[in-house]
Amino acid sequence: MMDQPGHRSKTPIGRVVGTEQKPTTPHQFFFWTARETPIGIGAIVRVELDDRLVHGVVTDGFAYSDLLSPLHAVLGADGDPGGASEPTIRTEVRLFAAAVLRQTPEEPLQPVPLGEVFLADDQDVVRALRMDSYVEEPNKTGIPIGVYAAGGLEAPVYLDAEFLVGPEAAHLNITGVSGLATKTSAVTFLLSSIFQTFPRAKGSVAAVCFNVKGPDLCFLDQPGALESVDQHLYERLGLTPEPFPSVRYYAPYKPDGINLNSLRSHEALAHNTEPLVWGLREVLDYAEVLLNRDDIDAKADAFIDFLGERVVGREYHDTSLRGAAFHVETFADLEEFFRAIFDYMESIGRGSEVWRTHHIATIRKVRNRLGNISTRSKGLVTDDGEVNDLSWGEFEDRAVYVVDVAGLDPLAQDLVFARVVSKLREHLERRDLGVDHVVVFVDELNKYAPGDGPDTYVRRMILDLSERGRYLGLVLFSAQQFRSQVHRRVVGNAATAMFGRMDADELAMPVYGTLSAATKAKLAAMPKGELMVRHPHFTQPIFVRFPRPAVLQGREGVEQFPPVSQVPFPQAIARRLRAIDPSIETSVVVDLIGGRVEDDVRRALHATERARPEGALAYFRACLGRSVAAEVRDVRPTVRGVGSSDDPYAP
Amino acid sequence: MSFQELRRAVAASGLQVATAHPPRSQGRTEAAVTREATLVEDEHVRQRAVGSPTPCPEPLAFLDGIQRYQVVGYGSTEPIVGAVIAAAVRERVSGRLTTVAEHREHLVVGRRTAVAGFEVPSGHRVIALPEDEHAHPIRDLDVAVAAIDRARNALELLVAELFRQRSDGWLIVDGSLAESPRWASDPRMIGITKSHATLPFAGPDLVQYLRLPQGHRSSVYQPAPRRVAPVYAWGLRLWPWEGRDLLFGFVRVERAPIAESLEGADEVSRWILAERAPISSGDARWDRLLYGIHSVEEYLRASLPAS
Repeated sequence: MMDQPGHRSKTPIGRVVGTEQKPTTPHQFFFWTARETPIGIGAIVRVELDDRLVHGVVTDGFAYSDLLSPLHAVLGADGDPGGASEPTIRTEVRLFAAAVLRQTPEEPLQPVPLGEVFLADDQDVVRALRMDSYVEEPNKTGIPIGVYAAGGLEAPVYLDAEFLVGPEAAHLNITGVSGLATKTSAVTFLLSSIFQTFPRAKGSVAAVCFNVKGPDLCFLDQPGALESVDQHLYERLGLTPEPFPSVRYYAPYKPDGINLNSLRSHEALAHNTEPLVWGLREVLDYAEVLLNRDDIDAKADAFIDFLGERVVGREYHDTSLRGAAFHVETFADLEEFFRAIFDYMESIGRGSEVWRTHHIATIRKVRNRLGNISTRSKGLVTDDGEVNDLSWGEFEDRAVYVVDVAGLDPLAQDLVFARVVSKLREHLERRDLGVDHVVVFVDELNKYAPGDGPDTYVRRMILDLSERGRYLGLVLFSAQQFRSQVHRRVVGNAATAMFGRMDADELAMPVYGTLSAATKAKLAAMPKGELMVRHPHFTQPIFVRFPRPAVLQGREGVEQFPPVSQVPFPQAIARRLRAIDPSIETSVVVDLIGGRVEDDVRRALHATERARPEGALAYFRACLGRSVAAEVRDVRPTVRGVGSSDDPYAP
Repeated sequence: MSFQELRRAVAASGLQVATAHPPRSQGRTEAAVTREATLVEDEHVRQRAVGSPTPCPEPLAFLDGIQRYQVVGYGSTEPIVGAVIAAAVRERVSGRLTTVAEHREHLVVGRRTAVAGFEVPSGHRVIALPEDEHAHPIRDLDVAVAAIDRARNALELLVAELFRQRSDGWLIVDGSLAESPRWASDPRMIGITKSHATLPFAGPDLVQYLRLPQGHRSSVYQPAPRRVAPVYAWGLRLWPWEGRDLLFGFVRVERAPIAESLEGADEVSRWILAERAPISSGDARWDRLLYGIHSVEEYLRASLPAS
């Protein structure tokens, strides 16, 4: 569909000017407008002259009068600013600089003609942003990202799914100051948009979101209130304002091992909230995450490999340590194994620095690091062998999986992130995840993939994900406050970049050198709900307005579904059982577990939760086993001494 | 049509193309003379304080005209002058000036014999100069320039007429009202003359007249009947001249020769004083050139061909 220049009847809002100092070029032009004009920074305009049609986006604006020197203004006012009365307002010019988005015809590429300038309409926006190749049938792969608005005109802006989710390009990075919720809102809205418009023919898609702080992502399945302006935007974009229909939440326990360490702990939301619990095997596979830079050496790696391949989950015989075989399944078992090694080495005395080619210091270091995670992340890592993980292999199309790690310490967050992403990658490589594409959303990227600082396992993993993930269908949506502090290759590989309100100091960094001063000024004062978007099809960044996501915002969610306070152990058990069978009464559970050892109760609960049987209470009772009453033994009676009257001390 | 295009037409006519920019192409000059005026206010010239500047009630309009000319060819040794003249009125409403009347004309000026062989492009009016004297390229050029001046004056009259057809508001003209009986009798026209080559007084009156302090006007007088129509006039000092040129910030104000003009001399002077700001930045005559007039000039310059 080719526009025919000259066939439009709109009134021009400006005219291109070219001077020796400011000539038009194939990539930039200047135009003047009337003093009252709808044009602003980011506005898309159309230039028409003869057979040439040029679309551009306004990148800068200038206004000046015919005053040659400020001194003339001083003179005219007799040096008194307050007395400066000028009956005639000086002639002034509104001059705008625009960057070329597209020229038609594209060849030969020529300077922009000195023609009339028109404000873009829907059709112009489609053409200017080269969206015509993907928003029209039969190759419709457009994902609505927001509405371009200028001069009373609104036009939907689409991203190309093939350049957002792959395979042509992929990944998205969003930058903005904290506190406005723009980043989270934008990603939430975009995920909803993807789920509603990603072509079925392109495969299935799911999202894994890491909730790293607060309740931002805790209520994606709950409807939020929308204002009429948001409703209008949804309508304009052809989207349905609704919460995500399929969301599963995973959160570790608190150290008590029974209460969830999440702000989404309200009983009414328990049906799709599961504990995230890992055992020794899950941790050991990613032990490298736990090692700091100084720890990384071949020796530690070798010993961890030894544990993983020969000890953990297997029957390990070493008569020098003890007669019986080791069955290391839990951290407790592992500690027993380490203890045996140390005891053995102490027993042999001199020459006891090496055990099976592993130096004692290496063994102690690995023991410390592994023990450290089980201590610092007691709710995530259990000692009883219970594991509850994401539903690997059973991911559902258009489903969101939220992993709430906000309450975990940074080391454990790294571990969760590394393991989840690695598992996603493994399953996508094997094509057995359940979906074809997974969008992974990570906030605080400058923490996980900093531009400088140590080369951690997590950073290497994110780099790998950003460079090779799109071939697997693994897509990274990342967010951070300071893009300049994120590793260049990570943000560089994000084909789509979005910018919310930016900090002026951040904008002063060299990475924003391509933006005009006016664009930076606009970014520094960007209202909530607006973004600047870069996308492979757009030759220049575009400003769009997006609606508030139709989900309950974090703060409102916490008010509507206040997290339950940490309840006593029996009540917590009852509540968890009620999530399986709501008819279970607290008093029955309290009576049932009275006098039981808490670890036994946890094990029974976890077994019940894993099985989720019909008769949950009966199953739980069976798992608990018969109660063994404490036996009170009689105190042996004291034998009285032989009395003697001669003995003055006799009783 | 640009001067270059006119030159191409000269060449196409088989005449000699020329490129020359006469030194007086930017404005008119007058000979320095004294023509004794008649005082209509006071017996001797007095320096009268006019009070604080007060803007003229809107709408207020400004009229000016410009001309550009170049020698574009020669017929034998006789210059053929191409000229473009333009005049416009810009009206101020709410502080903003917009053009409400304008006219322009393209001229070809030369001795009859010079322009006879010239196939003048359409859209040009030919002014054939008299041939009552022998051809003299310098004198012929002066005569041509004088003809262009007259054409421009006529154009200004035409534009003023166009303006009066739509408005009876105040109109400030760059120059003398004595150019036209219509102007000289219009009670809502004000002439502002920046040139003082012709002085109205001599002796002590001249001293009083030329040494006006800032914010003062002279007594009203009637200039000597040199031109077409009688007017009332007075000198007005817009800016302090001390330490500068004697004529710095000094203008002659003209109005219709009626009692209202005499009575309103202070008020009109206050209006004109208010027009000192904004300054006509970028023009060497900024001390006497009202911004409204400057704006008309700039408007016309922007739309005329430069080469």
